[in-house]
Amino acid sequence: MRDMIIPGDMVSDKPLRIANGFIQNGKTYSKVLGVYDAAERTIIPLEGSWMPRLEDSVVGIITEARPKVYIVDLSYFGRALLIPGKYDRYEFQPGDIISALIKNIEGKNTIILEDPKPLEGGTILSIKPKKIPRVIGKKSTMVRQIAEYSGTHIVVGMNGLIWLKDGNIALATEALLKVEREAHLSGLTDTIKNFLEKNKSE
Amino acid sequence: MEAIDIVKTSYIKELIAKGIREDGRKANEFRKIEIVSGLIKNAEGSAQVDLGATRVLAGVKLNLDEPMEDTPNQGNLVVSAELLPLASASYETGPPSPDSIELARVVDRGIRHAKCVNLESLFVEEAKAWTVYVDLYVLNYNGNLFDAGSIAAMSALLSTEVPKYEDGKVVREERVSKLKIDNIITSSTFAKVGGKSLLDPTANETNAAYSRVTIATDEKYVRAMQKGMSGGFSAKEIEELIEVAFNNHKEQKDIIKKSQK
Amino acid sequence: MNKPELVVDGKRLDGRRFDEIRDLKITAAPLKNADGSAYIEWGNNRILAAVYGPKEATPRHLSDPSKAIIKCRYSMAPFSGLSEHGRSGPNRRAIEISKVIKEVFENVVVLSDFPGSEIDIFIEVLQGDGGTRAAGLTAASVAVASAGIHMRDLVYAVSAGRIDEHIAVDFTMIEDNYSDCDMPIAVAPRNNEILLLQMDGEMTKEQMSEAISMALEAGKKVNVAQRNALKEAYARAGEEKN
Repeated sequence: MRDMIIPGDMVSDKPLRIANGFIQNGKTYSKVLGVYDAAERTIIPLEGSWMPRLEDSVVGIITEARPKVYIVDLSYFGRALLIPGKYDRYEFQPGDIISALIKNIEGKNTIILEDPKPLEGGTILSIKPKKIPRVIGKKSTMVRQIAEYSGTHIVVGMNGLIWLKDGNIALATEALLKVEREAHLSGLTDTIKNFLEKNKSE
Repeated sequence: MEAIDIVKTSYIKELIAKGIREDGRKANEFRKIEIVSGLIKNAEGSAQVDLGATRVLAGVKLNLDEPMEDTPNQGNLVVSAELLPLASASYETGPPSPDSIELARVVDRGIRHAKCVNLESLFVEEAKAWTVYVDLYVLNYNGNLFDAGSIAAMSALLSTEVPKYEDGKVVREERVSKLKIDNIITSSTFAKVGGKSLLDPTANETNAAYSRVTIATDEKYVRAMQKGMSGGFSAKEIEELIEVAFNNHKEQKDIIKKSQK
Repeated sequence: MNKPELVVDGKRLDGRRFDEIRDLKITAAPLKNADGSAYIEWGNNRILAAVYGPKEATPRHLSDPSKAIIKCRYSMAPFSGLSEHGRSGPNRRAIEISKVIKEVFENVVVLSDFPGSEIDIFIEVLQGDGGTRAAGLTAASVAVASAGIHMRDLVYAVSAGRIDEHIAVDFTMIEDNYSDCDMPIAVAPRNNEILLLQMDGEMTKEQMSEAISMALEAGKKVNVAQRNALKEAYARAGEEKN
């Protein structure tokens, strides 16, 4: 396992402007519990809330339908709004599940969404946002193998909400939770594959 | 309820309609019960129970008090509960909520009416008797605090030792005897979802349910019951659930007794 | 009042040297629902700390659009003490402790990274034997880190003080009750910055200096225990493979 860094640990004796790091007296320190990749000069947090980025694809639930705006729950501490444009033809009710893209971030914590697609039925699983890249995998290999073995339709939101429908949802859920727990370990793709094969028929 | 809880609730109902529970259990199956007894040494008795992911810690303290006027030759039992805000994102800081008070009073009734604690043995001398305080501390919530709380309280009481009383003073550092326990109560809680009664409901199942009932029994008698939520049960359903509660008694009692080594 | 002898044959009642802290072990992330949590066993102290957040601030109109607000609750279970059953609910002591601990985290947490949000820190003393606010803060720091909340440093706390002519660290309850000064100190270890300091008793300037030095030195072990807890949590997660 790569060396774990703790908040306050120095990652470089030079001032680097990197995410999850801060500079003091010309040196760079970590703000988070994570792992430092010296070659890439990146701090990879092991835990933490979702930090929204433009064009992130998310899964959310409509909580309010107002005349010109929908309020969407993304399990995020700020607000998320879906504002239909003049030519948009969609209509949602509170309780509807959607996938959407982040169009803009206003005032530091208000997310503006676009391109909503309805997700009917199914259920939602909440996974720690920092584990989502691992859940997706390189070129989506991880999520694809889980979907294949379980026969479940899976839509992953960068915000940590995952929509699941049909197939063996229990198996898909177990596999996703396992990825969440073991995200920091190597050989995970094979581990999950073995898990899925072993439990598929049960 | 949070939006995501509402989505999960719909899903639970869908599963129940197909005869499946979210964790694969049968309708009358308990989650795994784990008990650690005597972990808080400052307390005269203690036990921590894990019922699935629900975790409840019970602590017992004995105070020397004056007996109640109408029962001058015996001690007392007081059960309290706190739904600690750290146990769930849905819990808030503040004064005791109706849920925490109901939890305490329901667990109390089972123990009291099964006469688990021998109240006469708590009498010390003229105008002095022990009050047994049981505090239920909910540390992690995933449904069914009633059964987890009852198991924790019962296990903590079994582990309880009475402090020394000498020359008119309590010598708390010395514990001289085990608290006299005459009976063991067990508890079964059901939540009704889509017409099916589910034993030991998880938080999601509880959110999806419209009625709930807790049945506390010893080997022979029903000792306490509490129906909760706004929905109803038929008389037949209640009778069937009482039967299930009695069937559950021995196994739960054995688990509780085994926790005392 | 019969003051018990706290020092016998040059040693403390539990056999420790004056500059020695009690045994301590921290477990990170023992709770499933909380965003971060830690359990500390420090001497006979048993304390659970948990964090929720960053989350939507409630009520919304009290949120700060430029940074996170922190709420902190320190509380002692009614069965936590060596004496009688205590009363429920926070007393004035607990409220004051909640406040001074909150102020430590307002310093080390990068509040501006979570604008408009709320971070709730809970410290529940399940069993107490002196130094509970230091142990509670030390555990809370691990809980905040385990939640992935941005911090500038992994802050810890330890108490120091005076028993007769001896400067000592990490008082048990009985030492706390009969000492000539007890002083909890919270430190951000990177620059040894003192973020919490409370003192009552009788100390000369020199004694104060000695006590603070001793606390900073003893605190290194506390910080190591915190770091070990975080590392172990990830090693442990690997063991659950199946």
